[in-house]
Amino acid sequence: MRWFLSFLFLSFLAVVHALSSTGNRLLVILEDETEKSLYSTFWSDLEGRGYTLSFESPKSEQLSLFQHGARAYDHLLVFPPKSKGFGPSLTPKAVLDFMNKEGNVLLALSGKSSTPSAISSLLIELDLHLSSDRSAFVVDHFNYDTVSASEKHDVLVVPRPGPLRPDTKAYFSGEGVLAMPRAVPQTLGSDSPLVAPVLRAPVTAYSYNPKDDSGSMEEVYATGSQLALVSTMQSRNSARFTVLGSVESLEDKWFSATVKTPSDEEQTQTVNREFAKQLTAWTFKETGVLKVGKIEHYLAEDPADLNPQIYRIKNDIVFNMEVSEYEYDGYVPFELPSEDALQLEFSMLSPFHRLALQPTRKTDNSTVYSAAFTTPDQHGIFSFRVDYKRPFLTNVEEKHEVTVRHFAHDEYPRSWEISGGWVWIAGLWAVIGGFIAFVLVWLYSEPPSAKTKKTQ
Amino acid sequence: MASPSLDVLLKGNSSRNVRGLLRIIILCTIAAAAVSSRLFSVIRFESIIHEFDPWFNFRATKYLVQHGFYKFWDWFDDRTWHPLGRVTGGTLYPGLMVTSGVIYHVLRFLTIPVDIRNICVLLAPGFSGLTALAMYLLTNEMSSSPSAGLLAAVFMGITPGYISRSVAGSYDNEAIAIFLLVFTFYLWIKAVKNGSIMWGTLAALFYGYMVSAWGGYVFITNLIPLHVFVLLCMGRYTSRVYISYTTWYALGTLASMQIPFVGFLPIRNSDHMSALGVFGLLQLVAFADFVRGFVPGKQFQKLLTAMILIVFGFALLGLVLLTVSGVIAPWSGRFYSLWDTGYAKVHIPIIASVSEHQPTAWPAFFFDLNFLIWLFPAGVYLCFRQLKDEHVFVVIYAVLSSYFAGVMVRLMLTLTPVVCVAAALAVSHILDTYLVASKPSEASETKPTADNNQSGLRSTRNPVVGVYSYLSKFFISAMMIVYLLLFVSHCTWVTSNAYSSPSVVLASRMPDGSQHIIDDYREAYYWLRQNTPANAKIMSWWDYGYQIGGMADRPTLVDNNTWNNTHIATVGKAMSSREEVSYPILRQHDVDYVLVVFGGLLGYSGDDINKFLWMVRIAEGIWPDEVKERDYFTARGEYRVDDEATPTMRNSLMYKMSYYNFNSLFGGGQAVDRVRGARLPAEGPQLTTVEEAFTSENWIIRIYKVKDLDNFGRDHSSAVAFDKGHKKKRATKKKGPRVLRTE
Repeated sequence: MRWFLSFLFLSFLAVVHALSSTGNRLLVILEDETEKSLYSTFWSDLEGRGYTLSFESPKSEQLSLFQHGARAYDHLLVFPPKSKGFGPSLTPKAVLDFMNKEGNVLLALSGKSSTPSAISSLLIELDLHLSSDRSAFVVDHFNYDTVSASEKHDVLVVPRPGPLRPDTKAYFSGEGVLAMPRAVPQTLGSDSPLVAPVLRAPVTAYSYNPKDDSGSMEEVYATGSQLALVSTMQSRNSARFTVLGSVESLEDKWFSATVKTPSDEEQTQTVNREFAKQLTAWTFKETGVLKVGKIEHYLAEDPADLNPQIYRIKNDIVFNMEVSEYEYDGYVPFELPSEDALQLEFSMLSPFHRLALQPTRKTDNSTVYSAAFTTPDQHGIFSFRVDYKRPFLTNVEEKHEVTVRHFAHDEYPRSWEISGGWVWIAGLWAVIGGFIAFVLVWLYSEPPSAKTKKTQ
Repeated sequence: MASPSLDVLLKGNSSRNVRGLLRIIILCTIAAAAVSSRLFSVIRFESIIHEFDPWFNFRATKYLVQHGFYKFWDWFDDRTWHPLGRVTGGTLYPGLMVTSGVIYHVLRFLTIPVDIRNICVLLAPGFSGLTALAMYLLTNEMSSSPSAGLLAAVFMGITPGYISRSVAGSYDNEAIAIFLLVFTFYLWIKAVKNGSIMWGTLAALFYGYMVSAWGGYVFITNLIPLHVFVLLCMGRYTSRVYISYTTWYALGTLASMQIPFVGFLPIRNSDHMSALGVFGLLQLVAFADFVRGFVPGKQFQKLLTAMILIVFGFALLGLVLLTVSGVIAPWSGRFYSLWDTGYAKVHIPIIASVSEHQPTAWPAFFFDLNFLIWLFPAGVYLCFRQLKDEHVFVVIYAVLSSYFAGVMVRLMLTLTPVVCVAAALAVSHILDTYLVASKPSEASETKPTADNNQSGLRSTRNPVVGVYSYLSKFFISAMMIVYLLLFVSHCTWVTSNAYSSPSVVLASRMPDGSQHIIDDYREAYYWLRQNTPANAKIMSWWDYGYQIGGMADRPTLVDNNTWNNTHIATVGKAMSSREEVSYPILRQHDVDYVLVVFGGLLGYSGDDINKFLWMVRIAEGIWPDEVKERDYFTARGEYRVDDEATPTMRNSLMYKMSYYNFNSLFGGGQAVDRVRGARLPAEGPQLTTVEEAFTSENWIIRIYKVKDLDNFGRDHSSAVAFDKGHKKKRATKKKGPRVLRTE
C-alpha cells in the first residue's frame, strides 16, 4: 500500500509535465553520438510525449543512475554498445538496483554487433536468455522483406501482435505489419511468471549466426515462435524491463518503409513508429498501470463504520476496492478483460473465500469492484487479499489484516429462545418448585407424636 | 519474668487472652517473615515480572484493568498464535488476574494510586502470608498442641518448596492457588468435623475460587472424594460426611462450571469422574444406612451385596460406554504422564520438553524442604496414631502428593503443604514431650499434657528418669532449636541464591566480585518494540512467546500456552529444516522476524541449540517423513555442532541463525562455542532467505528479518550469489529436454 501512495504522489508530480505515470526523466545510453540522427523521429516522438531526454555515453565519467542513493532518472533506454561492455556505472547489478528502485529499462539489441556478455548475464538474472553465440539474429525464409533483404532474408516482416492470452489486455495490437531487421532473438524462461513475450518470431523463423558457417547445428537454440523478438519482464515491484531485439526498427528509415513479404501481393507501409510508441509507452508506464484507490470493508448492516479492525464469525461483510488504470494521460476506470476476474481472497493460512469482485460503480477515473460475503465459522487473523498479477499490468497485491473473533458471551441466543431447551427449563423449574413445596410442607406440618416420621 | 505484677497477666483467666494476643502477634510476624523473605529479587534487581508465564498473566491483567471484566471475558487475542489467534478469555484461569484487578480497583477507590505492575509483582508474597495463616488453621485442626499450628505456619512461610513459586515477581497462578488449596482443605476438614452445611458451602466457594485460579484444582477434585471413599471403606460413614460431601460436591461443581475454561469438564472429563462416582456411592451408602433401620441384619447383608454388585456393574458399564462413545473425554495426556513417566517422552514431546514436567531428582526434596522431609514420615506416623477423620485426610494427601512430587518437579508445590503439616505435628510433639512434660511424681498420673503423653512416644510412657531430667530436656530442645535455626538459614540461602533470579535479567559476578547484570533479553525485546512495525510477526520457539508478547508487544506465532501442538510443530519444522523448506513456511505465516536465543558466546546453557532436539522431536511428531531426529546425530549418536555435525544439522535454519557471523568475533581464530565446548567449523554458515537484523550485546538474542520474495523472481540463493558477484552459469539449464513456454 505504501508504495502505491508514493506512486500516487509521484504520478501527481509527473502529470504536470509528462505523460508517464511515474516520471519524465529519460536517460538514453548511446555510445556513438553520430548515430543519434538516425533515430530523430523516435526522439521527437518521445519529447513530444513529455520526456526530457539526456544522452550519455556508457563510457562517460559522470554517468550514474543514482544520486544520493535515489534514482537520478525515471527511465533508462539502452542502445547496443559498440564496444565490449558498458563500463562501471551500468553493470548488471546497477541496472537491477535501478529496477529495485522502480526504474524502467528499455534495452535495444542489434544483430549487427555481438552482444556483450554483461548484457546477457543481466538478462539471465531476469530469466531472459540469449543465444550462446552472441552475434546470432533471426532469419525467416517465408516472412522476410523482399525489398530490402531479398538475399539474406534477415529483415522480418511480422504482423503486430494481438493479446498474449485471451485474458490479457492487448497493449501492442493494431493493424499493419512491423519490420524487424536483424533482430536478436530471446527465449524466455519456462516457468517465470514475470516475463512475457510481446512479439514472437513467426513459426518458420530460426536463429542464425552468419559468422558460423559450419552449417552443423549441434545444439539447436530455440526456433519458431519460441523465439521472441520483443520481450518484457516486469519485476515484483512493477519495474519494467523490455528487450527490443532489433534496434534498427526504431530508425527513421524503418518507421515509414515499404515492405513486401514473398507471399504478399503488394507492398505495404510498416507501422514501426506506432509500435515504438506503444512499446515505449508501456515500458515507461504510460499504459498498463493499475492504481488501487480506496479500499473499504464494513459490516453489511453497519456501513457507517468503515474498515473496522475486528469482525465476528458469521458476519456479513462488504468489500469495496477502487481500481483505475493509467492510459497515456490520465487515470481511467479499469475494465477487466472479458475472460479475466479480479479475485478477492479472505484467507488465513489458506483462502476460506475466493470471490470474483464485481464492478458495481464507476467514478470519473476508477471502477469500484465489490464483493459481499459471510465470514467463515472460524476465528483467527484473516486478511483480505487481492493478488492480481497479469502480464503487462502492474501488480496489484493488497493485503489487509482483520481479526475475526468468536461469539462474545452475550451474543448467543438466550436459553428461553431455544425451543429445544424448553424441556430442560421446565424440568429445572419443576425441581425448584417441588423443592420449595416440599420445604413448605415440611416446615408447616406438625410433627406427629413419635415414630411416624414419613410425612413425605 | 516472674515478677508479681505480671502474674496477673500470665496466670488464670487473663492469661488466655494474653496467649491469644501473643498468638496473633506471632502469626503476624510469621506472615511478615513470609512476605519479606520473598523480596530478595525486588531488592537485588527491580520490581519486575519474572520468567515466562507471569508475563502473560501480567499482560492479561493489564488488559483486564484497561478494558473491564466483560471485555476480558470475551477477549480474543489476535497478537498470539498468529494467524490462529487465541480465545484467551475462555482459555485461561481468570482467578489471578481478577484478584489483582480487584485489589487494584479497591486501592484506587481508597485513593491509593498503585501501578498495576507493583500489585502483580507483590501479589505472590502477599498471598504467601495468607497461606501461612491458612496453614495455621489447618494444622490446628489436626493437633491439640498449641505449637503445631504456629510451627506449620512458619514452615509454610519460609520453606523453599513454596517460595520457589511465590517470590516477588513470580506472578503465576500458583501464587494464589496454594493459599486457596490450603484454605479449601481447612474448610473441608472443618466441614467433615462438624458435619455443617455452612463449612461445606464455604469449602465449595473456595474450591470455586481455586478452580478459577489454577488447573491444579483437579488435585482437590480427586483428593476430597478419595478422602470420603477411604472413610467409607473404613466403615466411618456418618451423616457428617454425607452432609459435607454432598454440599461441597453440588455447590463446588456448579461453581467450577462457571469458569469458561472449565465449562462442562466436571461432568464430561475422566479426571473429574471420581468425584461424581463418590457422590453416587455416598447416596447409595446413605440409602443403605437408611434401609438398615428397617430390615433385619441377615437380609440386609444380602441386599447390600446384591445392590453393590448391580450398581457397580452398571456404573462401570456406563462409564466404559460413555468413554468409548466420546461423551466423557478420555484421560488427558498430562494425566497419563503422571502414572508413566516415560509416556510423555514417547507420545507428547511437548509436555516432556518442559523442564518442570521432568521427574524430580532426589536431592531436590532436601533442597526444597530441608529437615522437614525427614520429619514428614514421623508426622504421618503420628497421624496414624490418632487417625481421626482429618488424620486420614492428611495420610491420603501425604501418600498421593509424595508420589506426584516424585513424578513431576512442579508438583513439589502440592507436596509442600502436607509436609509442613506433618513436620509441624512431629516437631510440636517432640517439643511438647520434652519441654512441657514434668515429672510424674508431682501429680501422680495426671500430667498437664495428659492426652499428649499417653499417645506420645513410647519412651515417654514409661517413667524413665532420664527423660525428665533437665539434661535430656535441654539436649533435645537445643537440638531441635539448632535444626530449626539451620532450617531458617537454609531457607534464606536457597531463596536468595536459587529462587530469586527473574531469569529475564541474568546476574553474574565480575572477577572482582561485583555484580554484573546481563540484560540481553530486555535489550532485544525493546529493540523489537522500537524498531519494528506494531504488527510485525515474530517467530521464536514457544518459550519466548509470552515474553515477546509482554515486553516487545509484538504478535507471536507460538507461546507458552501450548494449546496447538501442530502450530508448534510448524515452528519446529521451520527451525529444523533447510532454508528452502523453511522459507515457504515463514511466508505462509506472515513471519517478519525470527528470534533465536544463542548462548555460545557467554556460556548461557538455556539456549535454543540445547532446546533444538525438542523442536526436532515435536516437528517429527507431525511430519515424520520430513524431519528425523536421527539426522541430527552423528553416526556415533552424538549431538554435535562442530566440524563433525551432520549436514542436516548444519543446514538447519536454527543452526545457521545461531552461528551466523559467529566466526567474525574471533578475528580469524577458530570460533568456540562455550556452552557446548565445541570448536566451530572454520567457515561459518551462510544465510540467504533471512538477514541479520539485530544481535544483542552478549549475543544471547539474535533477530533475523525474513526477506521478501526476490524482486526478479529468482530464488534467494542465486540472488545472494549474484549480489556477491558470482556469475550465473547458464549451462545448468541445459540438462534435460528443453521446456517450451506456452502462452
